[in-house]
Amino acid sequence: MPKLTLDELRKKREEARKSIYLREGEFKGKIIVHMGTCGIAAGARSIVSAFLEELEKSGAKDIMVTTSGCAGLCSKEPMVTIEMLDSPPVKYVELTPEKVKKIFREHILGGTTVAEYALGIGSESGG
Amino acid sequence: MAARRIELMLCTGTGCVAGGSFRIKKALEEEIARHGLQSEVSLVPTGCNGFCGQGPLMVVEPEGIFYGWLRPEEVPFLVEEHFLKGRPIKKLMFVPRERKEPVPLLRDIPFFKKQKLIVLRNKGLIDPERIDDYLARDGYVALEKVLTSMRPEEVNEEIRRSGLRGRGGAGFPTGLKWSVCRNEPRTPKYVICNCDEGDPGAYMDRSVFESDPHSVIEGQTIAAYAIGASRGFIYVRTEYPLAIKRMRIALQQAREYGLLGENIFGSGFSFDLEIREGSGAFVCGEETSLIHSIEGKSPEPRQRPPFPAQVGLWGCPTVINNVETLANVPVIINRGADWFSGIGTETSKGTKIFSLVGKINNTGLIEVPMGIRLREIIYEIGDGIPGNKKFKAVQTGGPSGGCIPASLMDLPIDYESLIQAGSMMGSGGMIVMDEDTCMVDVSKFYLQFTNDESCGKCTTCRDGSAALLEVLTRITNGDGREGDIEFLEELGMAIKDASMCGLGTTLPNPVLSTIRYFRDEYEAHIRQKRCPAVVCRGIISSPCQYMCPLHTDVPAYLTLIATGRFKEALEVVRRTNPLPIICGRVCMAHCTLKCRSKESGEAIAIRELKRFLTDWELESGQLPEISPFPRRYDEKVAIIGSGPAGLTAGYSLAEKGYEVTVFEKYPVAGGMLALAIPDYRLPKKLLQIEIDVIRQAGVHIKTNSPIENIDALFDQGYKAVLIAVGAHKNRKLEIPGEDVEGVIDPITLLRKVNLGEEVPSLGNRVGIIGGGNTAIDAARTALRLGSKEVTIFYRRTRSEMPAIPEEIEAALEEGVRIEFLVAPERVISEAGKLKGVEFVRTKLGEPDASGRKRPIQIEGSEFVVELDSLLPAVSQDTEIPPGFGVEVSKGKAVKVSNETLMTSRDGVFACGDAVTLPTDVTTAMAEARNAAELIHKYLRGEKVEREYKLIEPSIRVEPIELEAEVSETTRPIMPRVPPEQRRNNFDEVELGYSREVAMKEARRCLRCDWEVQEMREKAREREIGVEA
Repeated sequence: MPKLTLDELRKKREEARKSIYLREGEFKGKIIVHMGTCGIAAGARSIVSAFLEELEKSGAKDIMVTTSGCAGLCSKEPMVTIEMLDSPPVKYVELTPEKVKKIFREHILGGTTVAEYALGIGSESGG
Repeated sequence: MAARRIELMLCTGTGCVAGGSFRIKKALEEEIARHGLQSEVSLVPTGCNGFCGQGPLMVVEPEGIFYGWLRPEEVPFLVEEHFLKGRPIKKLMFVPRERKEPVPLLRDIPFFKKQKLIVLRNKGLIDPERIDDYLARDGYVALEKVLTSMRPEEVNEEIRRSGLRGRGGAGFPTGLKWSVCRNEPRTPKYVICNCDEGDPGAYMDRSVFESDPHSVIEGQTIAAYAIGASRGFIYVRTEYPLAIKRMRIALQQAREYGLLGENIFGSGFSFDLEIREGSGAFVCGEETSLIHSIEGKSPEPRQRPPFPAQVGLWGCPTVINNVETLANVPVIINRGADWFSGIGTETSKGTKIFSLVGKINNTGLIEVPMGIRLREIIYEIGDGIPGNKKFKAVQTGGPSGGCIPASLMDLPIDYESLIQAGSMMGSGGMIVMDEDTCMVDVSKFYLQFTNDESCGKCTTCRDGSAALLEVLTRITNGDGREGDIEFLEELGMAIKDASMCGLGTTLPNPVLSTIRYFRDEYEAHIRQKRCPAVVCRGIISSPCQYMCPLHTDVPAYLTLIATGRFKEALEVVRRTNPLPIICGRVCMAHCTLKCRSKESGEAIAIRELKRFLTDWELESGQLPEISPFPRRYDEKVAIIGSGPAGLTAGYSLAEKGYEVTVFEKYPVAGGMLALAIPDYRLPKKLLQIEIDVIRQAGVHIKTNSPIENIDALFDQGYKAVLIAVGAHKNRKLEIPGEDVEGVIDPITLLRKVNLGEEVPSLGNRVGIIGGGNTAIDAARTALRLGSKEVTIFYRRTRSEMPAIPEEIEAALEEGVRIEFLVAPERVISEAGKLKGVEFVRTKLGEPDASGRKRPIQIEGSEFVVELDSLLPAVSQDTEIPPGFGVEVSKGKAVKVSNETLMTSRDGVFACGDAVTLPTDVTTAMAEARNAAELIHKYLRGEKVEREYKLIEPSIRVEPIELEAEVSETTRPIMPRVPPEQRRNNFDEVELGYSREVAMKEARRCLRCDWEVQEMREKAREREIGVEA
């Protein structure tokens, strides 16, 4: 590899910073995908992937995607709970990758709950 | 492409690697692939995380969940449950001692909380083999800044202002060193990173290399720029293969990026680094030796000045900095000298890495601000000493440092305070020692090390260390002489004065500092042939024989039991103990305290085996025939008190040939054995058998014979008197309101029960205050007298209770309740009658200088317990009457000289509880035997002085050849009468072992005395010139 110029080094550093945000980031939002056996059977894995894809596309570095157990409403899986800083958690039910896109855009990035997919607002945290 | 959601920061420092972290890594990769999680979960091998005691370990990001003690077989479960299903695994989380709940997050674990990370800023957060990871954490920003916007003088000035001092141990100001080198006109100049880490127990440099090699490269490059060097060396010992590997990778990557090499960033500054592997001689860490080593010469130091900064490598100006020093540099440049100098103490700025090892719960690498107190390191970060043992000292600075005793626990740690305390910062090894550490042995260990590692150039270091070691070895073998300590001190000072390099000038520190703080331990080894920590094998034949106050030859009689030679076994017991029936039942079993079997299980049931022997003898009816010892001397001796001390002294004096009369104030002989210990523990008829043995040996015992004044005895013609009275006077609680009806003295109560006298009714609800054997005896007696609710109140916890553990267990079985962590505040009464007691709850606070946790009252936690009677069993005093004729102290303990056991009055001796206040049977007996010896000397006109001898086996009994390994690690259960059958009568509770059980248990003895016996025999053969 040829030697880096100062600018190239700085650029490399910025890129590298993005790659390690999970280790040191401050998170303003948490997407919790419920991954009980029921959730997995209903397709929760694809929901995780969908959220991760959206996350990558958006470039947001302050959103955490994590998983959790069954939320107790197995018939409505796949489900996620979204916890944004300073607002009550929201549970979304019967998700599809399509719904994920909308939720990510409107709720995670836009800050508005997607009422049509939501189970209820203000229910207890699933995390 | 999708984002990742989990990063596994798996520690791959040398410690965790040794524990198998590469196997964990493989298992993780397989399982992650099996679940198709590769794109979501990534694995980052990091350098040392620091919490090495928990390794192999891993931190799961983004949450920061800490998992320790990982095993490959747990990985499938972990991956499925946590990484797939999102359920963190509790059983892999860290559980602090004394807490039941695991602490999931790294940031909440106390070990990490008090740390301040500057040097270790990237530990566990980057892959050390990826330069991009380092870049992402502000890597090479400082180098950029220096090369693009600072002149070398400005860099020097910044480092000087920061107050950074050498982390290799000596603490020389780094900025000053750089300036001196910069100002040398000659070129070329060199900069060397010293990673020749040699202190036993220290591994901070290795960890920095393994976890963050670029931080050192960056720091060293800045140093090179500051002094004007274009070539540098990294000197690292070859025993650090992983560190070397990672440093090589880092150097290669830095070169590829143009961070090393020609014309860096086009600044005109060129610099490159080479690794030099040292072969691990301790002296190579000394800078002039290190330079010689790089030059290819024999690594011997040379005289300074000139200093390497003036005349160094190949005669050129050279800066040598320690790894940790260099790793600080980029952060100082980035955050500024003012920020850095705001951390630490007046003279010592920033942080220091310590490797916290030894007798400490949390071992690992820590980085803490200068000025932190030892107490915080030991008890907060380190979470205290394992097994609740006492913290004794910490050795800082490795073989060059010294020990800091527990009494200096509040010392703020910096360069100057450590020097003042007789130690030094050194590279930062911190070896924690507990009560089981012998300080003489420790200094011997370090001297062995420095004696091995001395390069031999200076006579004082080469021969001086050998001479120190020889004397220390002699002392630990029990062959110490008067004057040895003074010799060690004088020679130590001479070595410091006359040696050339740091190795020689500091090698006496471990000896000098242990003498300074633990002189009494040296004296005990030399004068008393004792090793208080029970470590030195040359002094301790076997821990059981050594710990037994009577020094009964336990290993010999255990082997005799194991082979069925019971009669011989009893003969061995009786060589030192005239009261085996009694001791087999009520001895505190000091012998088991340091039993080596405890290292892998339970101590051998020695007391129970002794009891088995006496049971066997009683059943077989083969009590030895005793005839009175022949009189050899005319002098008569009077003994006051017929307890274990009086009986033993009487027996010993009769054995020597004196006429002995024991005067007993109470109607029966036996003292506390007869009056305080209940029948269910020691049946009166058995006690009587042994008192009869003493009588048969020729000792006269006069009961109902109180002595009011010693003169009367001399008037009757006795030539010597031994005061061997017990402590029969119960001590008060000293709380308000306790002088009321219903507050009953337990000693008097036990005496009345034992004498068959009428006892006051205790009522149903009985409270006992205290945690010793008297408290337990009183509680179990109260039950037997018909009380229904008997509760013991104790201000500490069960592990601190001084009572015999088996007795506590038996009391609980019988239904006695114990309330821990409560202290009585006041007695509540009505019309002069007890109603109850107000208690306050306590918690165990910080350990005091002795390492024992103090009970602290919790304000506002007062509560009242209603009681019908209260038995305060806190302690006792003697009943020595006024005008007795000898000096007594508070509590009416008789004052004696420890070396003569003589009281203030010529010819009057004292021992046992009379001197020490309540202790225990065997301790009193041992002192009585010594008293008899001293009285004999007194009567024979010899110099009255205690004689100390090396404890040796009394008989040579070869260990048995075991056909098969003994698999038991626990002692057999002592058969006892079931609680419901025993709690309403005074019949003996313990039933004793059967012959089979006893023989089997005796086989469990490890015969740890044997090695020492053989060693001593060989030594003797050498002395008398026998070919071995």
